[in-house]
Amino acid sequence: MDRQLIPRGLKRSPLWKFSLWILPWCALLAVGIYAIFLCLARGLNQTNMDNRFAFGLWIYLDLTVIALGAGAFFTGFLLYILKRKELKAVINSAVVLGFICYSGAVAVLMVDVGQPLRAWFTFWHPNVHSMLTEVTFCITCYLTVLFVEYLPILLKNRKLRMIPSFLVFEFELHKVMYVLAGVGTFLSFFHQGSLGGLYGVLRGRPFAYREGIAIWPSTFFLFILSAIAAGPSFILLTTTVVQKISGKTLVKREVLGYLGKISGSLLIVYVLMKSIDTLVWLNSTSPAEGVQPFEFYMWNPFGTWILFAEIVLLGLVPGLMLLTSTIRNRTGWLITAALLTCGGVALNRFVLTIQTLALPTLPFDEFLSYLPSWQEVAAFLAVLAYGVLFYSLSFRYLPLFPQERELAHS
Amino acid sequence: MFPGVFGFEWTAGNLIFLGIFNSVICLVLGAIAVAIVRGARDFANGKQDELRWDDDFEELPPTARACRHAFTGEIKHRVCPNGFDCRECTPHSRLLERGDCVADLRAQERSASGFEIEAECMYHRGHTWVREEGDGTVTVGLDDFASRLVGPPDDAELPAVGSRLVVNGSAWNLKRGSATIRILCPVDGEVVATGGAGQGWYLRIRPLNGAMDTRHLLRGGEVSAWIANEMERLQLALSNSQLGASLADGGLPVQDFTAANPEADWDSIYAEFLFGA
Repeated sequence: MDRQLIPRGLKRSPLWKFSLWILPWCALLAVGIYAIFLCLARGLNQTNMDNRFAFGLWIYLDLTVIALGAGAFFTGFLLYILKRKELKAVINSAVVLGFICYSGAVAVLMVDVGQPLRAWFTFWHPNVHSMLTEVTFCITCYLTVLFVEYLPILLKNRKLRMIPSFLVFEFELHKVMYVLAGVGTFLSFFHQGSLGGLYGVLRGRPFAYREGIAIWPSTFFLFILSAIAAGPSFILLTTTVVQKISGKTLVKREVLGYLGKISGSLLIVYVLMKSIDTLVWLNSTSPAEGVQPFEFYMWNPFGTWILFAEIVLLGLVPGLMLLTSTIRNRTGWLITAALLTCGGVALNRFVLTIQTLALPTLPFDEFLSYLPSWQEVAAFLAVLAYGVLFYSLSFRYLPLFPQERELAHS
Repeated sequence: MFPGVFGFEWTAGNLIFLGIFNSVICLVLGAIAVAIVRGARDFANGKQDELRWDDDFEELPPTARACRHAFTGEIKHRVCPNGFDCRECTPHSRLLERGDCVADLRAQERSASGFEIEAECMYHRGHTWVREEGDGTVTVGLDDFASRLVGPPDDAELPAVGSRLVVNGSAWNLKRGSATIRILCPVDGEVVATGGAGQGWYLRIRPLNGAMDTRHLLRGGEVSAWIANEMERLQLALSNSQLGASLADGGLPVQDFTAANPEADWDSIYAEFLFGA
């Protein structure tokens, strides 16, 4: 039965080997589900968050996976709207990654917010002045779009495409994909931005507060830019990891180089904008709020090194590496640069979530420290396990990489 | 969310925000509805075979999609862009008009690379032969290459008499071991009789509009060149990829490749040579 489900012409590991691979991830998922049950049944006292440190590991995870999952909408935009055909080789994988990232983020948000049975309240009685309302609407709408985008990939399964009605539906769904890609781009643009804007409007947190254009603080635009810069790098990285684990060449080398080039170009623009934003904040925004900006960097471990790491080490350096063709053409360096890029966006989300909340803002405030509880870590790891399992099953039973068969023949 | 719901106010913020998101939801639902309606229409028009073939053809490696005129040397290194439907192919029409096409030459050989070929038959790239009968019908069977490739089938699922078949759609299914092999139909028409492996043919088909268009079928002098190329591809498919083709030259093909090479990836080989994925 297993063999009958694997796409024709593609080689996959024997079922026993695959079972061994997924077993530890299933165990991790089971532990995570138990931790999630504890949080939902007993409340957020199961976590180490409190009224002062209200954002923790989960929100950090949400922001990071949503930024990395931006590869899905951005690749779709480049392929279906700008007609960059080279990206057809990775679009299916990008959609699967996007779906994993967004569904994982929504699942963790449900645990974090609590009372999932009342989740519909936010849609039925929305506060339209809240950035979070915009984020909620955009993320759920985009998750629906990603599910619809995933459907044609699922219907390509060897057994499912034998059903004639599925075959024609898949074909017609593919023809309206440019509409969904456009909608996905619109939604992603706004929720990536609103997630950044959420921090930028925190006037009571001068470390995060930023000025901007109209109702949007500069973090709104920086989040969009950093997400679309890191997204292609994340696709590059995951493709390389899957190639390594499966022992197969899944895409042509030039596709990886192209992803790197896109990522590098956008990363340099992001680093430039981020640098300008930081200079404006250091010299204008923060002093205007009555705080000397370098006071924020006096609290260990969050010294100025973190600013240097975010902008130079994990921003400018990988950006220049990805833009230099001689470096980009060497696989090892290409992967290193992609890894640094993804690390950079993860650090940026960490700084805005954790460092912002840890720093004292009022004279009587103290520097807060926070370490997640085992339930928080287990729920975090459950999302990782869910992602690995979902991707592994998709890779085994669906044609994720259209070039795989051709490359296996050459 | 809507007027009348608690919290809704007739303010610009409410109207803009909710207006945009309701429009987005309508757009997504509309796109899905369009796909469902069009899908239902395609299904009613019987387009599923055509769509499946388009999909399967795209996935074939370039070597399997080589143009028929590349085998004979009339065109160099051309990959077919038309799903082997030469009826719509301009270079093919030009070559036929020129009058010196290899396909127009009568076949001299009775076999190619050890496989039997019939001079009076036309061949489909999915390894079926077509023979015109005097009564306007055609008989369709599995060629010697496919018969030896699959070996004696355990079972065959034939279409019912009266079924309408299309070029490159499903003609019949063969079962060998756990594999179900879909054989592609070489012509358009209605099934008037069915046979089986024991009778040496599988289907008798009557064209729907009187005359049958067979321009896409291989014939005459080009068949042996095509079979030789197929044998070369099969050698590569059956050989250890690190060694390259390693079957001995000069031998004769066995009667049952499947039984003779049980370790080979037959799933892929059937798909690559008979195309019915």
